[in-house]
Amino acid sequence: MRSVYVAGIGVTTFGRLEYPLAEIAAYPAMMAMKDAGLTEVEQVYVANMGGGRINHQTGLASAVVDTLSLTPAAAEVIENGPASGASALKQGVLAVGSGMYDVVLVTGAERMREVNNLDATDFIATLTHPLSEYVYGVTLPAHAAMFTRLYMAKYGVTERHLAMVAVKNQNQAMANEFAHLQQRITIEGILDSPEAMTNNPYVAEPLRFFDCCPVSDGGACLILVSEDAMAGVDRPWVRLAGVGQATDTHAVAERADPTELTAVRLAAERSFAMAGCGPADVDVAELHDAFTILEIAESEEAGFFGKGEGHLALEQGETCLGGSLPINVSGGLKGRGHPVGATGIAQAHEIVTQLRHEAGARQVDDAAIGFTCNFGGFGNNVVCLTFIKER
Amino acid sequence: MERRIYAYRCRSCGTAHYPFRMRCKGCGNLEFFEFDAEPLPTSGTLLTFTHVHNLPAEYEVERLGLGVVELEGGMRVTGQIDIDRPELGMPVNGSVEVVRHEPYEDYWGLVFRAVRRRT
Repeated sequence: MRSVYVAGIGVTTFGRLEYPLAEIAAYPAMMAMKDAGLTEVEQVYVANMGGGRINHQTGLASAVVDTLSLTPAAAEVIENGPASGASALKQGVLAVGSGMYDVVLVTGAERMREVNNLDATDFIATLTHPLSEYVYGVTLPAHAAMFTRLYMAKYGVTERHLAMVAVKNQNQAMANEFAHLQQRITIEGILDSPEAMTNNPYVAEPLRFFDCCPVSDGGACLILVSEDAMAGVDRPWVRLAGVGQATDTHAVAERADPTELTAVRLAAERSFAMAGCGPADVDVAELHDAFTILEIAESEEAGFFGKGEGHLALEQGETCLGGSLPINVSGGLKGRGHPVGATGIAQAHEIVTQLRHEAGARQVDDAAIGFTCNFGGFGNNVVCLTFIKER
Repeated sequence: MERRIYAYRCRSCGTAHYPFRMRCKGCGNLEFFEFDAEPLPTSGTLLTFTHVHNLPAEYEVERLGLGVVELEGGMRVTGQIDIDRPELGMPVNGSVEVVRHEPYEDYWGLVFRAVRRRT
């Protein structure tokens, strides 16, 4: 397979966006084309989960390619739940790696705040098993809560550890001008003070409000190119070197060990194997912290820390900016926001920014290898990417 | 008629499935409908649980109890729980009740309660 490089990147502000879904996908694509200095694209992939359901728009790829005046380029929507973004990047790698195309634009977009909170939660809950989960009122926070309770019992993770993840990521988002949440929080305010139960009520026990990512609108884009096309691009050479994906049972209750995220472990292993490196080589990681517990669990399954030791690394400050492996310096899903179709590409956008050493106040020193984990369903379908800076 | 929730046991290799699968995960055979439906056991152990406070629109209750139960025989299911103070590992018993009301349809499923201890 041919090598695949990231020629250009773009992202919207995350939060509430008052413009149409197709433009949320097109805006970061414009930025990425400017960034790369490329005006011709052969293939467009649009990562999106809910256009048909919550924005009443289907055939989004055709709308986006035309909004960008890129017709007659090929175009498809890629839908893989909250992992749609990394799945679309995977399709881009296949398209360029196979030799079929030289320039592929991969953009992701979601406009979730067009509907109210109940509808947004229900929209995400439709990815649970219809007969054995959804009918009972199971939501994604409910899955995460039941997982958290087991994790607490087995490994000694506490509500304080969860709050530490929330504080780390949400405060880190203050250094990211594109992040949704721009509000500093403290352990005192969300856990220890007499007002904490008011500030930070339970959403699904033991998870509280500040353990959950916000519902966001947003878009992000990467342009993937062949080595030949990259030679004409005046940007640092960052290679999308590893793509790993794995699936797990649809019904979460069926899994052999309910405290393991097997698909994360396998996807990470496969991504590292393809890239020819391992977890110890990674300088900066963006993990899918839709719920605080997931950052801890994924940091273990990806091989950065031993099983049951992620919260200890957190306590030691190893996952903070300046630690041995900074995780979610962009703010993560928790701070940057989680427009589901765009998230996997936004994670990649952050890693490329870091490897180009253009991250400003949140730059990880000497970052050369970066990793993302994009988590679909409740670990039903996971895509992990590895990026390597070449020059 | 008593309502039950059914597991699906493969006629070739005996692997039981819940929820339904078109193809057996034990032996992978490609024949259609080679499963026998059998009622799920109703008693088991509460493996994990939550009370959800921000509920889907259909639920007009203050909080909704949900849990994962390991049934006798080892199969695991998700269901609603109606238990004031749930504990990991407590014995529970399930019955089939309405778990979701929608305007034109009721959905039935397992609701688990604590096994009453003799006093």
